[in-house]
Amino acid sequence: MYGNSKNWPFLFFLSVALVLFILLGVRLIYLQVIKGEYYRGLSSQNHIRVIVTPAPRGVISDRNAVILADSKPAFIVSAVPSEFNRINSALVEQQLGMSEGEMNEILDEASAVPHRPVVLREGLGVEKVSSIAEDLYRIPGVMIDVAPLRRYHRPEDFCHILGYVGLADTQGSFRGEVTGRTGLELSLNEILSGIPGLKREVVDALGRVVEEFRGASSEDTVPGGNVALTVDADLQRIAIAELEQTGMPGAVVIIDYENGDILCAASIPTFNPNMFARGITQDEWNAILDNQDNPLFERAWAATYPPASTFKVITACWLLSEGLISPDYMPNPCYGSLTLGDTDFGCWTSHGRLNVVQALEQSCDVFFYRTAQLGSIDGFAEYSACFGMGSRVADVLTGEKAGLIPDSDYLTRAYGSDGWGLGNLLNISIGQGELLATPLQLAVIAGIIASRGEMPHPGILLQREIQNPVLSSDVVTDFAFDTVIEGMLRVVTSRRGTLYNAFSDSSLDFWGKTGTAECPGENHALVIGFTRDPMPLAISVVVEHGGHGSSVAGPVAERILSSYFAERGEI
Amino acid sequence: MLNEGRFELTGRDRPDLLLLISIVVLLVIGLSTVYSASKAVSESGFFNRQVLWVGIGIAFFLAGTWFSFRRLEEISPLLYLLSCLLLFATLFLGSGPADRWLIIGPIHIQPSEIAKAGLILMSSWWLSSLRVRPRRFGEILVFLTILPVIILTLLQPDLGTSVAMIMIVLAIFVWAGYGPGWIYLIISPVLAAVSSIHIVFWILFMCILGLILYRRRYPFSSWVIFMGGNSIVAALTPMAWNLLETYQRSRLITFLDPSSDPHGAGWNIIQSEVAVGSGGLFGQGFLQGAQKELAYLPARHTDFVFSVWAEETGFLGGLILLAAFFVLIWRITLAARKSVNAFNSLVTAGIASYFTIHVFVNVGMTLGIMPVTGLPLPLISYGGSQMIVVLFLLGLAVNAGMFWREV
Repeated sequence: MYGNSKNWPFLFFLSVALVLFILLGVRLIYLQVIKGEYYRGLSSQNHIRVIVTPAPRGVISDRNAVILADSKPAFIVSAVPSEFNRINSALVEQQLGMSEGEMNEILDEASAVPHRPVVLREGLGVEKVSSIAEDLYRIPGVMIDVAPLRRYHRPEDFCHILGYVGLADTQGSFRGEVTGRTGLELSLNEILSGIPGLKREVVDALGRVVEEFRGASSEDTVPGGNVALTVDADLQRIAIAELEQTGMPGAVVIIDYENGDILCAASIPTFNPNMFARGITQDEWNAILDNQDNPLFERAWAATYPPASTFKVITACWLLSEGLISPDYMPNPCYGSLTLGDTDFGCWTSHGRLNVVQALEQSCDVFFYRTAQLGSIDGFAEYSACFGMGSRVADVLTGEKAGLIPDSDYLTRAYGSDGWGLGNLLNISIGQGELLATPLQLAVIAGIIASRGEMPHPGILLQREIQNPVLSSDVVTDFAFDTVIEGMLRVVTSRRGTLYNAFSDSSLDFWGKTGTAECPGENHALVIGFTRDPMPLAISVVVEHGGHGSSVAGPVAERILSSYFAERGEI
Repeated sequence: MLNEGRFELTGRDRPDLLLLISIVVLLVIGLSTVYSASKAVSESGFFNRQVLWVGIGIAFFLAGTWFSFRRLEEISPLLYLLSCLLLFATLFLGSGPADRWLIIGPIHIQPSEIAKAGLILMSSWWLSSLRVRPRRFGEILVFLTILPVIILTLLQPDLGTSVAMIMIVLAIFVWAGYGPGWIYLIISPVLAAVSSIHIVFWILFMCILGLILYRRRYPFSSWVIFMGGNSIVAALTPMAWNLLETYQRSRLITFLDPSSDPHGAGWNIIQSEVAVGSGGLFGQGFLQGAQKELAYLPARHTDFVFSVWAEETGFLGGLILLAAFFVLIWRITLAARKSVNAFNSLVTAGIASYFTIHVFVNVGMTLGIMPVTGLPLPLISYGGSQMIVVLFLLGLAVNAGMFWREV
């Protein structure tokens, strides 16, 4: 029926099939008749060997083009299993310092793809290679190639931000391939790693290269992309050094609140990432594991702390913007504690009668206990979320924590609907209780107040789109900002201010707020604050188990900023 | 010329002898090659299982020759739905290489192979029913119906198979009388995107598009839709491409060409080319080739089975295999032309296109002129699902060729 009425589909089908089959036949003639001798020669006497040239990993630099991580030339010794004679195993093991039998194990493991070289030793320096090259070059199937090794220039300062690289263990990649393991090396691995080059060689039975393989093209190495960070290597160095003075683990985050650049994200204790790049020894690894302060742990954005009294700036913004208090409002005096039911909510001293500015200045808890009762816990939680609390705020930081703002849902889930009450709101109003924030978030709080809500999301990549402000809506009124900024100034300038002593000898204009987070053992010391001149910087300092924010964290912040500005010749 | 669902059966012919011979020849080639390929690394299990698959497949073949096409047409949508469900289940329960297998106790099924048969039946069912009762936008309905299978296959992810599926469906459309112009219009967005790489290609594309619209006397609105829509596609493609980061592009390329396997370095292809080439005119001899070059090829008994055959039997053997396939396709197409009604004819034509596409893509891959896809060589490659489905389809083709109406 079809065919009788319409013949063309039939002819179309047959002619398409014919053309395609002729194509196959022509290719078959080319491969088997024309090139047959060549291929037959190849297959009987020679092997094809695939040489993978690793791409140099991209360079990471700071905002002033100071190189933080690059690659240095190093050598890699590998063997092609199909060309290697096991008679030579002992000699190779001896030359490369391998244990007995290791060579054969490696060869057995690689037997699935015997034409592809396997790595025996990598990251060898020039001296080492030149001493063994003489012997190894004579052994068929052993190759010595240049393979770039990752090098960190300020290893301790940037160990947490950059992370480190290690051998990739993914299936299908070539032996010796390096990949990012932690930090930006991990999150930016796609950009940094580049594409390895491929070369196919025809080699004879002795492992000599006869010619480049004709038939499939080789692929060139594509070097990894370079990345510039917003951090300032000098500031980072100063911050690490000052933090180390305290002798305690801790973190410092400094952000330019006008454009969101993260200038410093220091975390101590530190470690040396070069150990990982060249292959860590067992002793080094044990030393890291034995350190109870866990140097591998990143504290600037992957650790959360109770924000303590530094959080009172948000409480104050909330109370003022919602109209729950006026700037002049003075609740009943602080007698050193407030009793709610049968629980005493303590303050660290008796402050007497205060308004909100004075309460910030002297960090009075009772003021906030009394006033926070005027609002609801969910209203406060929603408000805190506007400040970036409880969510990640930055761009590509590996393992950034979101922190926690407890609301009624959370508390009900945790304690049951009858298990919590007004007491939780009181605790949260002074930054205690279940509340958790990263040092990064603490710096963002300071930045938001300094910029009156204009601060964009912080980022660590210099080339990035400046995002919307963290403070997503204009929930905070102008006079709330004014009042809190006034309070943060009085913290530093007033004789009763908690940072008065720390900044009394400083020529720096600073707005700040201290915090002392109650925790098992010695308290955590915290401070947040900002400068306007010479640079718009927001800072947060956390010293674990350091003691009081005013006496420990405050001086650290002062010294970091003063030294930095002095180094830049700006004060 | 249209059957309107009524026709007279005036005779039942003998099965097409040439078609049967070519099937037997290909089965023999297939079994001996799988034997040789598995012999090289002493995995005789492959060969024994392949013999079992062929045995079961022949039962399905006989069932296909005996099955009533009328009944088949009735249950086609059901079969299609079933193959959809199998594919869908694979998405969650898939295991084996690349998660494309469904394992139910001792039975390992590759649902995408079954889905190809379901697709042929479904699109033939639609197109033949459209002949009886034309609908507005009927063709779009056909495409919407087959979309789930295409998308599920894409998600596996198996781009090669989903493209092959689309090609088979398009071939069935051609057989149903939709001309090249119509096909061109259907795939014009894809052509527009591809043509955007150079202005010359794009002008050529637009000229052909205009010519087709003119010849088919399309109304002005169609001109606006096709010309305008495709211009927008062509304009947006480079912009979208430029917006991508380098690594995103390389990811996309890897998705489009999953075999590009930067680390494996096309090792399989090179080994395959060397193996085929070293076969020369008359080959290395049976059981002589596989030991040397292909011993390490992971897919030597499945995707690269042709390389083994070509190495051992040389150009002569390769030619015999291609000739046998061509005879097969020719006889199936003939059967499609002779078929008594629309459904039979369309199904059979679909089977012919199935073979054309699979043979070209698979053999082309082993010869290094087509990208690496997972398409097997029908009747030759090791694999149960595929062998059974293919033999059943061939049974249908023989069946269709046995009925005809004398004019």
